[in-house]
Amino acid sequence: MAESPASGGPFRHTGFFYRTLDEYARTVAGFVGDGLAAGEPAFVAVPPGKATLIADALGAGARRVEFADMTDLGRNPARIIPRVLAFAEKHGGQHVRYAGEPVWASRGPAELREATRHEALVNLAFADADVEILCPYDTLALDAAVLADARRTHPLLRSDGRTSASPDYAVPFRLPPSCSLALPAPPDAAMSYTYRTDLSQVRAWVLQHARDAGLPDARASDLVLAVSEAAANTLRHTRSSGTLDIWHDATEIVCEIHDTGVIADPLAGRRMPAPDALSGHGLWLVHEVCDLVELRSDGTGTTIRMHMSLRPRRTPG
Amino acid sequence: MWYNSGVDLLTTSVSTAESDSEAYTLVELTGEADVTNCDALREVLDAEVAKQPRTLIIDLSGLRFMDSSALHVILRANRVMDRQGCVLALASPREPVAKMLRLTAADQLIPVYASVSEATAG
Repeated sequence: MAESPASGGPFRHTGFFYRTLDEYARTVAGFVGDGLAAGEPAFVAVPPGKATLIADALGAGARRVEFADMTDLGRNPARIIPRVLAFAEKHGGQHVRYAGEPVWASRGPAELREATRHEALVNLAFADADVEILCPYDTLALDAAVLADARRTHPLLRSDGRTSASPDYAVPFRLPPSCSLALPAPPDAAMSYTYRTDLSQVRAWVLQHARDAGLPDARASDLVLAVSEAAANTLRHTRSSGTLDIWHDATEIVCEIHDTGVIADPLAGRRMPAPDALSGHGLWLVHEVCDLVELRSDGTGTTIRMHMSLRPRRTPG
Repeated sequence: MWYNSGVDLLTTSVSTAESDSEAYTLVELTGEADVTNCDALREVLDAEVAKQPRTLIIDLSGLRFMDSSALHVILRANRVMDRQGCVLALASPREPVAKMLRLTAADQLIPVYASVSEATAG
């Protein structure tokens, strides 16, 4: 693992602090365009309206860029790293550029924590990769605390047309406190269950609550799979029981699995296992099907909090 | 394993049949397949794979749920079948199981058919 990803190898991870959409379009298009001019593949994942701005600024070159809607791809920020890894792998051996905006102002607190965690983990996941990454941050719309975290998670910062090393970047790797502290406790109204080996009962509880909360059937099946995989880890890796907490409000249903297991790899579930791998699919599936996943693990145990939205997807503002 | 408690959740039934005078083995799974009964599933599949059938079809139509532990048992069986120059195929998964096969890309490794008769037609 690189001690100092800011220097040496080809990996560059820059937080771009912008004030105007004009500056945004010019800078992101410049970053992508420089790559295209050098024959480098480029991937851009930003909220939909902003992709149009970048494409317009790029002109004809935009046709050679792969675009993704970040509000979809990054709904659960844990899905971004595997997607970018897949892009780099597809262009194996080449230097690739990726512009990604996973943080926007209308995201809720849990989403912002996970988007920040994702940004920190980028430095681990790509430390040895031939990848150059630019992450735009809306300095006028985002809270000061979110921007302070962006200074902690990016080895390089760009603002007012200048790029410099971030003095707040954590070396060696450390997650910002905002996304590594214990999760806020479940609400008092949460239903709490203890399970030992009866995962069928766990699935039945989840399905019942999901239906009561109004989650559509297909999404309820997704949540059942996610919770069952998280609870299966209790059986696979511990010799004690686990607890399941379930709650919902008008916006989302949340299921939380807690047990005494330890998940030491901060990138667990964020690399796609080989199709014929005989382990590692559990957390991968949890991240694939849930709208948001919060995972906290230390010597005392592991908590996996899985969120499913009860509303149609928000458009970012 | 100490937690091997979900055996009642999963029923397996094995038969052999012929399609276009080609014999194949059919394993039908009914119920829920997860970490609590995947050892039992492994025993059934190992026994059938050891007989080296040219084609082994696993009928998933009765399976309400499958987790990654059950998938790993099927992937293991597929490896051995491959090595023997034989074919393992999956037939008629319900949507949640089909989705799980897509998300893990297991469907890129093991052919998945809409029905047993399509699987026998290969």
